Amino acid sequence: MKLTHAFTILSCAVLLLGSMQREQRSRAVTGTIRGRVDVRISGTSELRPDVAALGMHAAHDRPDRRRSVVYLETAPRAAFDPSEEQHARMDQRHENFVPHVLPIVAGTTVDFPNDDSTYHSVFSLSKPRPFNLGRYAAGRSKSVRFDEPGIIRVFCDIHSHMNAFILVFTHRYFTVTDEDGRYRLGNVPAGSYTLTVWNETVRGDPPRRAIAIAPEGGDIDADFTIR
Amino acid sequence: MRRARILFAAVFVVLAGVRAGSAQSLPSGPLELANGQVTVAADVAATIGARDNAPPPECSRRCGAFFNYTDYQHNALRMFRVSLSGAWRPSRRFAFLTEVRSEDGEHFRPYALYFRVRPWAARAFDVQAGRIPPVFGAYSRHVYGPDNWLIGQPLAYQYLTSLRPDAIPASADDLLIMRGRGWLARYPVGSATSGPGVPIITAYQWDVGVEASVATQHIDAAAAVTSGTLSNPRVDDDNDGRQISARVGWKPFVGLVIGGSYAHGEWLNGALRNGLSSVIRSGQRFPQETFGFDAEYSRDYWLVRGEFIRSRWRLPALSSPFIDGPLDATAAFVESRYRFTPRLFAAARLDGLTFSRISSEKFFNGVPTTWDAPVGRVEVGGGVYIQRNLIVRAVVQRNWRDGGFIHKRTFVSGQIAFWF
Repeated sequence: MKLTHAFTILSCAVLLLGSMQREQRSRAVTGTIRGRVDVRISGTSELRPDVAALGMHAAHDRPDRRRSVVYLETAPRAAFDPSEEQHARMDQRHENFVPHVLPIVAGTTVDFPNDDSTYHSVFSLSKPRPFNLGRYAAGRSKSVRFDEPGIIRVFCDIHSHMNAFILVFTHRYFTVTDEDGRYRLGNVPAGSYTLTVWNETVRGDPPRRAIAIAPEGGDIDADFTIR
Repeated sequence: MRRARILFAAVFVVLAGVRAGSAQSLPSGPLELANGQVTVAADVAATIGARDNAPPPECSRRCGAFFNYTDYQHNALRMFRVSLSGAWRPSRRFAFLTEVRSEDGEHFRPYALYFRVRPWAARAFDVQAGRIPPVFGAYSRHVYGPDNWLIGQPLAYQYLTSLRPDAIPASADDLLIMRGRGWLARYPVGSATSGPGVPIITAYQWDVGVEASVATQHIDAAAAVTSGTLSNPRVDDDNDGRQISARVGWKPFVGLVIGGSYAHGEWLNGALRNGLSSVIRSGQRFPQETFGFDAEYSRDYWLVRGEFIRSRWRLPALSSPFIDGPLDATAAFVESRYRFTPRLFAAARLDGLTFSRISSEKFFNGVPTTWDAPVGRVEVGGGVYIQRNLIVRAVVQRNWRDGGFIHKRTFVSGQIAFWF
C-alpha cells in the first residue's frame, strides 16, 4: 500500500516537474525581427507577344513580383522538432497563382484548387519535387506533398504566363513580405543568426545580414533593398 | 554545308548553355522594355534529320521524296529556324504585334505585322489589321514551340500539291503528268519557270487584311477579309480579288472545343488571268473555296485534336482533254499527346490527303484518276522537357504516296527547341 502511495506521489512530482519545464520553455525569451524589403524592379508582364491570337488576351491578374521571403539561414534547434502535418493552398484564379510566393515547412501538403472557368495544368520540373497534375476544371483541386527543402517553380502548361514559387524550409522561421514590403518574424529565440531575403528577381547571392537576439529578447529592425 | 555548320553550332551553343548553368539558367520569360509596355520573345529550333534523297535503285539517280518540303522550299524535318516576336502595348486596348522568322540561316522574313484594337473595353470584341493570323481552322495558329508536339506539320498545312497560282495546266494531261511533283511543278500556261505548288493552307505565311473577332464564354467567332487565299497568302493583291474567311468555335464545356471554318477568295494570278482574256469569259472567277471542321478535347494528361478540310480550286478549261470541274482536295488529321511525367510525353499524328478525279486521254488508260497523288502519313514521337521552355524531341515519320518518283519514305528526325 505504502509502495502504491509512494509511486503515486512520485508520478505526480514527475508530471508537475515536466509541466513546469514546459511552462518555462514557453516563457523563454524571444525577439522579433521586422523591417521592410524594398524591391525596385520594373516590368510585370510575363505575357509573351501573343502574335497568333485573334484578339486581346483575356484579362488576367498579374503576379506580385515584389513579394519576398525573409528567413533565418540557421534556426534554433527546437524549430526542427517534428510538428503536425500542415496544409497550405495555392489557388489558380484569373490565370494567376495566388499566392505568387508560398513558403512552407517540409512535410506540408499544398492544395491547388482551380477557381477559373478554364482548364489549368499545374506542373513543376524543379528537382526537389517535380510533379504534373494534368488538366482539371473549375471547382476541382489536386494536392502535392513537399518533403524536400528547396525552391519549387510552379507553372501552368496551358497559360505560359502563369508561374509561382514554393519555398520549402526545414524550419518555421520564415515570413513573406506584405504589399508594402514589410515583414515581421516573431518568436525568435535569443541567439545569433543570418537573416536572408529571397526574391525572384535576385540573381546570384541573396541579400543577407547577421543579426543577434539579445538574451533579454527585444525587437530588431532590418531593412533590405533589392534593385 | 554552311547551313549544317550553322545548325550544329546553334545546337552546341544551346547545349553548352544548359550544361554550364543550372536547369533554370536560360531566360524563362519574355524580355521587357519600357516598363513592360514592350515585350520581346524568341523561338529557336534546330531540327536534324537525314537528307531527303534516295540512292539507286529507288531512283535512277539520287532523288528527293519532298514529303516535308515547305512553300519556302525547306525541309521541315531538317531545318534551323529562328523566330523573333514583339509586342508594344501602349494601352490596354491597343497593341502593335510583329514576328520575323529565318529558316536555314536565310534572311529574316516578316511573318506578322499588325495592330490590334479593342474598341470597347468591356466587350471582348477586337479588330486586327495588317499581316494577320489566319482565322481558318485551328492548327495555323499553333504551329511552333510547345504547341506542335511533333516535328512535322499536318499535310493540309504543309504538303505541296501540284497546283500553282502563277502557272496552270492547259489540259488534264498537263495536270496529271505532274501528279506527286508538287515541289517543282511546271505548266505550259503562265510562268515558264518551274516552281513549288501550294498546300491547301500554308502554315508558313500569313495574309494581309482586316479581321474582327468576338468571344463569349462558350462561343468565339472571327471573320477576315484578306488579299490572298489560304493556299497563297499575299502582301500585295495580284488579282483584284479578296478572300473572305470566318470561323465559329463552340466550347460546350471546359476541355472541348469544336470549330467550323469557311474561306472563299480569288486565287489565280491576275496577270495570268488577263493573258487568257481571249479564252475565258469576262468576269469569270477562279477562286479557292475551303471549308473545315476542327475539334479538340483534353482531360488529365491527354490531349486529342483533329481537323477535316476540304478545298476546291477552279481553273480555266483551255484545251482537250478539259479539266471539266473544280479540283478538290480533302485532308484530315488527328493527333494526340500524353504526358507521362512532368518531363516526358509521347505524341502521334495520323494524316491523310486525297484529291478528286479527272480523266485523261494519254495517261491511266482514260480511267478517271486523282489529279494529284494521294498521300498518307503517320508520325510518332516523344519529347523531354529539359526545362519548361527547352525541349528535346524525336520523331519517326512514315509517308505513302500514290504517285511521284518516290512512293514510300520513312524519316527519323530530332529537334531541340528553346523559346522565351
